[in-house]
Amino acid sequence: MKTYLLASLTVFLACCYVGGAFAADSGSGEMEMLVFPKAYKAKAVNNGGTISGVVTFEGDVPEMKVLEITKDQAICGATDKYDESLVVGEGNALKNTIVYLIDISAGKDFDKSTKLEIDQKDCKFSPHVQIVPLGVRVTMLNNDRVNHNVHIFSSINTPVNKQQTKNRKKMPLKAVKKAEGPVSVKCDIHGWMSAWIAYVPHPYFAVTNEKGEFTLEDVPAGDYKLGYWHEACGTNNKAPVAVTVAAGGTVTQDFTLKLK
Amino acid sequence: MKNRNVVSLLMLVFGILCVLTLAHAQNAPEASEKGKEVYENSCAHCHGTEGRGDGSAAENLLPKPRDFTRGLYKIRSTESGQLPTDQDLFDIITEGMPGSSMPGWETSLSADDRWEVVAYIKTFYDGFKESETSPRVISLEDKIPYSEESVEIGKGLYVDLGCVECHGNVGRGDGTSAPTLTDEWGFQTWPANLTQGWNYRGGADTEDIFKRFIGGLAGSPMPAFEGDSFLHFGLTAEESTRLSELENKDEMTAAEEEASEQFYEKMDAAVDVALNRAEGMELSAAEQQTYNNAMKVVYEKSWHLANYVKSLSPEKRPESAIGNNVLRSQYVQGALPAMDDAAWETLQSGYFPLVGQIVIEPRQFNPTIDSVNVKSFYNDKETAFLFTWDDRTNTVGDETDEATGKTLEDALAIQFPVKVPQGPTAPKPYFLWGGRLPVYLWHWKASAPEQVTELTAKGINNAEVQEAQGELHVQSAYTNGQYKLWVKRSLKTDDKKDLQLEPGVFVPIAFSAWDGANGDIDTKRVMTSWYTFVLEPVPSSRRFVYPPLIAILSLGLLFGLRAVVQRRNSEEVKNM
Repeated sequence: MKTYLLASLTVFLACCYVGGAFAADSGSGEMEMLVFPKAYKAKAVNNGGTISGVVTFEGDVPEMKVLEITKDQAICGATDKYDESLVVGEGNALKNTIVYLIDISAGKDFDKSTKLEIDQKDCKFSPHVQIVPLGVRVTMLNNDRVNHNVHIFSSINTPVNKQQTKNRKKMPLKAVKKAEGPVSVKCDIHGWMSAWIAYVPHPYFAVTNEKGEFTLEDVPAGDYKLGYWHEACGTNNKAPVAVTVAAGGTVTQDFTLKLK
Repeated sequence: MKNRNVVSLLMLVFGILCVLTLAHAQNAPEASEKGKEVYENSCAHCHGTEGRGDGSAAENLLPKPRDFTRGLYKIRSTESGQLPTDQDLFDIITEGMPGSSMPGWETSLSADDRWEVVAYIKTFYDGFKESETSPRVISLEDKIPYSEESVEIGKGLYVDLGCVECHGNVGRGDGTSAPTLTDEWGFQTWPANLTQGWNYRGGADTEDIFKRFIGGLAGSPMPAFEGDSFLHFGLTAEESTRLSELENKDEMTAAEEEASEQFYEKMDAAVDVALNRAEGMELSAAEQQTYNNAMKVVYEKSWHLANYVKSLSPEKRPESAIGNNVLRSQYVQGALPAMDDAAWETLQSGYFPLVGQIVIEPRQFNPTIDSVNVKSFYNDKETAFLFTWDDRTNTVGDETDEATGKTLEDALAIQFPVKVPQGPTAPKPYFLWGGRLPVYLWHWKASAPEQVTELTAKGINNAEVQEAQGELHVQSAYTNGQYKLWVKRSLKTDDKKDLQLEPGVFVPIAFSAWDGANGDIDTKRVMTSWYTFVLEPVPSSRRFVYPPLIAILSLGLLFGLRAVVQRRNSEEVKNM
C-alpha cells in the first residue's frame, strides 16, 4: 500500500511538473442542439395549417463510409453497415433531418397511440433519429441474439446505460421529464452503433424520410420560426426561417443544407 | 399557564432542531469558504477550479480526473441514475481510487476538511440542490455468502449477462469489445482486469462488486444491470425455467400458449412497476410487493455474480519480489521444463509491479500493465525463466504510432547488468537501461514471438543489438489477455557482453514492458527498477555425511571418556 501511495504521488508530482494546459474536448458540450419553447400548452386545434417541404443536400456527396465490424461477425457482419451521419438519396434528398417549430407555445397534444421503438437489428439502430415526447417510454428492441447495452448520453436528463441481454427482446426505458437533444445513443459493446434521440415537449417535430420530405400538421394559424437539425450539417439556430401559417392553409418550405 | 405554553413550545422547537440535526449528521455541511480553500489547494490541480476535470495536471492522466459538473459518479452505493450519497463522496476522497491517479486523503486532510470538500464539490452540479429526495441506496440485505456453488452459478451469469463482452473469458479485461471503449467525455477507457482486485476503483469487497454491477459506473461504458436487464424479470426461478422450456418448444398446445401468455403478462407488469418506480411514482402496496418479488430473484443472481467476480482475484495484491519473496531459481536435475510443463505450477511466482516510465520523454503516465510474474528453474548447464503478464490486447505490430510513425506492438525486456556487482555496496548500472555501466538485455516482441534478441545498452536511448546473438530458446503464447514467455539460456556463454550466471550469486534484474494498444513505444513504457534473483544453491549432499559422522564421533568420544573415568574410579576404590 505504501509503495502504491508513493507511486501515485510520484505520478502526481511528475504530472504537476509536466503541467501544460489541458484543452477540453470541444465535442458534445458545444454541439448545436434543438431549441425548445419555455412552456407548452396542449389544446384542441381546429382547422390547423400544414408546413411541408423537402430537405436537400448541397455539395459533393461523399461516399458512405462502410463501418468496421469488430465483433460478432456472424450477426453484425452479415450485411455491410454504413456510417449514417449523412444519408443522401436520389435528387440529393437528405434523410434524418429534424424539422420543427422553435417557438410554438400552444397547440395539439401528442398522438400517444403510436408505439415508440428503436430496433437493434444486425447490430444497427433503426431509426437513426427518433423523436421521443416527454413522459413517454421508448422501447428498445433487441432482434439480434447478441448482448447490447443501451447507452444514452443525456446531460440534462439522467444518462442511461443499461444492459439489454440477448434474451431481452423488448426493453422499455423510463420516460424523461426535461426537453433535451438530440442526444447520442450508443452501444459500447458494438462501438460502431449510433443513433439519436430528441426528447421533445411538443409534437411539432418531423424527421425527413429517404426522399428528404417532412410534414408538420395541425399547426395553429400564426407566425413561427422553423428550425432544423442535422447530425452532419448542424442547425439554423442563428437564423431560423420565418413562416406564416394560415388557418387550413399549406406552407411549403424547402431547405438546402451543407456540411458544417 | 402562558409560561407553560412557551416552555412547551420551546421544547418542541428544541426537539425538532434535535431531530433535524440528527437527520443532518450523515450529510455534508453547507458549502463554505473553507471547502473552497481546501478544494483549490488539494483538488483543483487535477479537477480544475470550476470542477470540470480540467486542472493543469489533467492532460497526462488516464482515467481522466472526474468532471464534477455532470453529476456522474462511478463509485456509488446508489441505484443507476441516482446521485451518490455524501458518504460515497467522502469515502472516495478518504480512500482514493486504486489503479487511478486519485490518492486517498485520509492522512493529508482532516475528516472535517474532507466533509467540507464534499459539500463544495456538490456545488458544481445543480442536480444536488434540485433533488428533493435522498438518492436510493442499493440494498445489501440478503447477501448470499461466498461458496463454491454460488461461484459456479455466478460463472454462468457472467457469460449470459454479457460481462464477458468487455471483461473477457477469465476476467482479464480483454473482451472483444475492450479495444473500442470510450467514456462519456470521449476518452479511451479499459474494462477492469477482474483478476487484479487491488486495482478496482471502488474496492474489491463482494459488496463493492455487487454495487458496481447493479448501479453501473456512471460516465463509463459499464452499464447498470437493473432489474429488467435480467432474463424473465418478474418470474420466480421455477417460472423462468418453465417458460424457457416452453420457449424452446417448436409447437405449443393451447394450454401451453396460455401459460406462456400469463408469464409474459406477469413480466410486463413487473417491468411496468419497475419503470413507474424509476420515474418517481408512488407504488401501491401490491405494486411494491410485485417489485420486491421480482428484485429478490435479481438480487440473488447479482450476489452469485459478485461472488464469482470475487473468486477471480487474489484477496490482496501479491508481495513484491524483494526480501523474503526474492526470486529464487530452483535447481532441477536433468532437462528444464518447457513452457507448458506442469512443473511450473509447483513454483511460487516472483511479483514485479510495473510503473510508468516518467523520467525521459516520451513518458507513460497511464500504464495498462500492472506487473510481470516470474518463475525460474536451472540445472547444471542452463536456466529457464517463465514470464507472465496481463495485457488486454494482443498487438503484433499492425498499428502505427501517429507521433513517430513507428510500429506499435507489445513487448517485454528483461534487464541484467553485464557484470554482477561484487558485494552489496558495489554500484549497479543505472536502472533506465544502464549508463556508464552497461546492461545486458533480452528483448522480446509480439511480432516475432519465437525470438529474443540480446542487447547491450548504456542508456535508455543507447541500446545496441549484440553482434553475436547467443543461443536462446524461446516459447511464447497469448491467451485470454495474458502473455507467457519462456526463455532458456546456458548459465555460461563465450560472449563477454553476456551475463554469466552461477549459483548462490545475487543478480540484479529489472523489466520493461510495452502495451502497443496503449501507445507504448521506445521510452514510453512501463518498467521496474532493480530487483534481484538468485540461482538457489543446491544444499550440498555432504550434509547427509558430515553431521551424522561428527555426531557418531562425539558420541564415541563421550562413551570413551566415560569408560576411562569409570575405570579410574573403580581403580581408586580398589586402591583405598
